[in-house]
Amino acid sequence: MSTSEMPIIAFQNVSIKYPPDNVVLSNVNLEIEKGELIFLTGPSGSGKTTLLRHLFRAEQPDSGSIIIDGMDVSTLSKSQIPYLRRKIGIIFQDFKLLLNKTVFENVALSLEVLGLRKDQVKKRVCNVLEGVGLGHKLHNYPQQLSGGEQQRVAIARAVVNRPPIILADEPTGNLDKVRTSEVMHLMNELNARGATIIFATHDERLYQNSPGRVLKIEAGTMEVIS
Amino acid sequence: MTLNILFRRAFSDIKHNLGTQTVTTLVVTLSLLIFVFFSFLYYNLERFVEHFSRELGIVIYLKKDISPERIPPLYDTLQKMEGVKSVSYVSPEEAYHRLETYLKDESIALDGVEPNFLPPSFELEIDRALFNLNKIKELSSTLATWPEVEKVQYGEEWLDRLEAFSHLIKMVVAVGGVLLLLSAVFVVASTIKLIVYARQEELEILRLVGATNSFIQGPFLIEAFLQGLIGSSLAVGIVYGMYIYTKPLLANSQLLRGLDYQFLPYTFWLPIIAVTTLACMIGTMFSMQRFLKL
Repeated sequence: MSTSEMPIIAFQNVSIKYPPDNVVLSNVNLEIEKGELIFLTGPSGSGKTTLLRHLFRAEQPDSGSIIIDGMDVSTLSKSQIPYLRRKIGIIFQDFKLLLNKTVFENVALSLEVLGLRKDQVKKRVCNVLEGVGLGHKLHNYPQQLSGGEQQRVAIARAVVNRPPIILADEPTGNLDKVRTSEVMHLMNELNARGATIIFATHDERLYQNSPGRVLKIEAGTMEVIS
Repeated sequence: MTLNILFRRAFSDIKHNLGTQTVTTLVVTLSLLIFVFFSFLYYNLERFVEHFSRELGIVIYLKKDISPERIPPLYDTLQKMEGVKSVSYVSPEEAYHRLETYLKDESIALDGVEPNFLPPSFELEIDRALFNLNKIKELSSTLATWPEVEKVQYGEEWLDRLEAFSHLIKMVVAVGGVLLLLSAVFVVASTIKLIVYARQEELEILRLVGATNSFIQGPFLIEAFLQGLIGSSLAVGIVYGMYIYTKPLLANSQLLRGLDYQFLPYTFWLPIIAVTTLACMIGTMFSMQRFLKL
């Protein structure tokens, strides 16, 4: 199998538990192809966030392997973890924006860690903020933005370094209907450009009419429901 | 990753936390100031002891019954000794005359006393370039063993006290210096820890977007470097300022006349600045360890 044919994410006999005896996944095998849109669903506390945290190596599975873009995440050394995370854009429900930094500075963080030149950072940050409709709010602080705008800044920060994988953990959880559809529109656009997206949500309406695969986690099992 | 980005981030952090950064730097300054000040005091005290011991010279009291023929050969021997700049002979009559002058109106107390009741003596002027206090002690002990010699004096009693005091100051400076340096490092490390605590969220986001540990730690180390460097340089600078200010005042002092009052040599203060700066960086590295776990 050539690299281009390999799944971008693969779970091989993965088991995840957390104390005292909660089983999130038990011996799960799964393959996610490049450019797929995956909705990860399940009741609150089922382990959606925990699974995402395993993908960016904030946690390690109890057994089995998680392969991302050819790298076995579970055997990565600590010094390699930052390089894995540069391949993954992460979006959170609570945005995780730095309140003492401007919109521009928040987004620029993802490029500064790559060691890009100041002019390159400026160009790419301005482009991506234009793309999410915030080109006119570069110098605003997060508190000066609406919830939907803040989430768009978080999305811009996650995609500005053009990662092949985007993990979104309940990104619309704090947004109203209009803002939710704005975010969904952006996610579909990123997916159309080739990004693999794993979108964790318990809101059925988000994936009902979507072409993406829906995976449901419940009681240690992962089931493909559409 | 370029140093450029790390410096840019460090200066941006300093700008945002200017108050805390200034207080930390001042704590380093104050801790070092006490140490540098006492070192400076000790350095000059040691020079003072040294200077005075040379200035005093040696007085050799001869036995009263010494035959007058023995005086010239003794004079010649002393004159030829290494480190002896000049020798002068004080006869009992000369000594009597000096005492009379010294007593002035009270010289009446000498009425009825024989003019030769005082012993003859030699006064040695010591070559400052060749002698230190230990050598004077050594020479005095040798001279005291000569059969014609009754007693040798070089102001040993108070010089010994001064020397003991100087040693005490040395100990205080050494022990105090280490403690003060440790406290400065502790304060810097704790301040950095508090700053890191306050910015945990930022560090978490940096880790999520793929920042390496050196990218996260770099700006903090630059800040600690600057705190150590500026703080310790300020301390040295303040003591140097004191030296410049007090130099003309002490130049007029009768007691210190002729003393070459000096600032600490660069071989002392340069390592102090280097050690403080390094210690601040090491303290910061240790205090950040737990925040760098991925």
